[in-house]
Amino acid sequence: MASREKELSALPQTSDPPRGQLSELVGRLTYPFLHGEPPKPQPATGFYTDTTVCIGCKACEVACKQWNQLPSDGFKWSGNSYDNTTELSATSWRHVKFIEQFGDILPNEPAQNRWLMMSDHCKHCLAAPCNQACPTGAIIHNEFENVYIQADICNGCSCCVAACPFGVITRSDMGGHSHKCTLCYDRQRDGLEPACAKACPTQSIHFGPIDELRELASKRVEELHRRGVSQAYLYGEAPSQTYSELHSFYLLVDRPSVYGLPDDPFNPWLHMMGDYVRSIAGGLAAIAALLFVLLLLRS
Amino acid sequence: MHGNSGPAQALTKPVLPGAGPESGYANTPVVKVPDWYGMIACDALLNGMATGLFMTAAVSELVVPAVFAPVAKVAYLVALVLLLVDLGMLVLDLGDPLRFHHMLRVFKPYSPMSVGTWCLTIFSLPLSAAAGLSLLAEFGFDFGWARLLAVVAGLLPAFGSAAYKGVLLSTNSQTGWKDARWMGGYLTNSAILMGCGELFVLSALMEQAQATAILRTAFIVLLVLNLIPLGLLFVNLHPAHTRLYTSRQQWWAGVFIFVAGTLIPLCLTLVNSGLPFIFGAVIFLLLASWVIRFVYIKIPHASPSRNRSG
Repeated sequence: MASREKELSALPQTSDPPRGQLSELVGRLTYPFLHGEPPKPQPATGFYTDTTVCIGCKACEVACKQWNQLPSDGFKWSGNSYDNTTELSATSWRHVKFIEQFGDILPNEPAQNRWLMMSDHCKHCLAAPCNQACPTGAIIHNEFENVYIQADICNGCSCCVAACPFGVITRSDMGGHSHKCTLCYDRQRDGLEPACAKACPTQSIHFGPIDELRELASKRVEELHRRGVSQAYLYGEAPSQTYSELHSFYLLVDRPSVYGLPDDPFNPWLHMMGDYVRSIAGGLAAIAALLFVLLLLRS
Repeated sequence: MHGNSGPAQALTKPVLPGAGPESGYANTPVVKVPDWYGMIACDALLNGMATGLFMTAAVSELVVPAVFAPVAKVAYLVALVLLLVDLGMLVLDLGDPLRFHHMLRVFKPYSPMSVGTWCLTIFSLPLSAAAGLSLLAEFGFDFGWARLLAVVAGLLPAFGSAAYKGVLLSTNSQTGWKDARWMGGYLTNSAILMGCGELFVLSALMEQAQATAILRTAFIVLLVLNLIPLGLLFVNLHPAHTRLYTSRQQWWAGVFIFVAGTLIPLCLTLVNSGLPFIFGAVIFLLLASWVIRFVYIKIPHASPSRNRSG
């Protein structure tokens, strides 16, 4: 998708009328202002990822790449366990993380001797900072309440990149636009589940209506607690004081930071009004000082 | 405040496992740094210079028209040139510059970039009118009332154009930037200071003695006043700077910014009111202002293990 974005958008479509250069220019200028009819709202959907059953097979990564036609990122040894994807990017919308916790590696700590694996992706935040930051309206909550980037609208300003507290969105070097997980919007519209969830062989990735997922996840946590996994908890299923709930939440058994997630995510927009007040106050103070001098010395 | 979940869920706070050994991705930076580099620092400077010059000239002309009208007419032209260069930088910094007009398809009050885009767009209209009418006046077609109308109409969007930038650079998740609560306060205050400095130079160049004398006092007052938001910004950024720089480096940076940005301009302005001294004072001020913006923009990039976007 991202790799052929430029070529594909330049190809004439069979439905296109013949165009001259002027008509092309006018079309390019007016096209973004044509707002279509919004689709009818559907029940909110999302992901619930149970990291305790993830086996790190990366089938989700491959399925995501294949379905969305995302190009290869090349291959490099990261030196970090089996994680050679290293991060989410404009061309990697799924990233399986590997955490090796073995006693011989951490000699001063009680031996845990376990692998932690987690398939990471966009969190589809209910109050998404990327959506709030986007000045073009390219980022929207679609009818499934998933955070979706309209690739034909994004102009690559990078405000969403700066805003995302999870480091999900990335600007592509190829098209210059931002890309991330769409929660397989095209598949959802056709009544299919996202490619990653479909491919997951252990049902670590659950897809469905968000309320059902919460219920399922709560039962799983209770079950794990009964089995003695007392550290199991859900990350992002409910809003905190500083962040909204995530429509893509996780079952974790260690601190969020161990999985590369912020321990206490913070929505930067909580500061916005105060920042505007200080900004205006700074300017008004200077204008008041200028006015004072002008009025004092004008005669 | 964010969610639409029930209150029971909102109150549910998971009992997190106790802090264990640093393992896994605990030392990996989470957020990605946008490709905002030197051009954004220059944009922040030019934005302040253009909006500040317009506002200072407008306020001065409206309050003391007899003294400031001649220099204000030139100031509007200079502000327009600065704004055009600034807008060019903003467009070129986009991933897809040919889509710059997509910013105008919506207005989102909670997006500082959207607010800024609309303020700059609206501001460019009365500024262009004021500059054009000032130019026409030079050729004998003086529509003074129309120019004053354009000046008044431009004041609010000019202020908005100056005020949004700091909020844009502080309302995000980036290391350091997210803590800079006074970035907006500093940038807006600094815009007026720089605008006063530019008008000061123009009035001296045009040998407007009374305007120069008034602006000299205003420049000194604003230089001192600007230390307050600058100091507050330094306090905000201290934790980030402590992580990135040694105490010695921080001390030298602070000394440089104070000496170049305040002390030297202050001394030059107090010592002599000749054009070279005024020019020198404003050049030092602009240099320090650029350094502050550049150092600020660099904070998230300074982390050796940062995640880059793009």
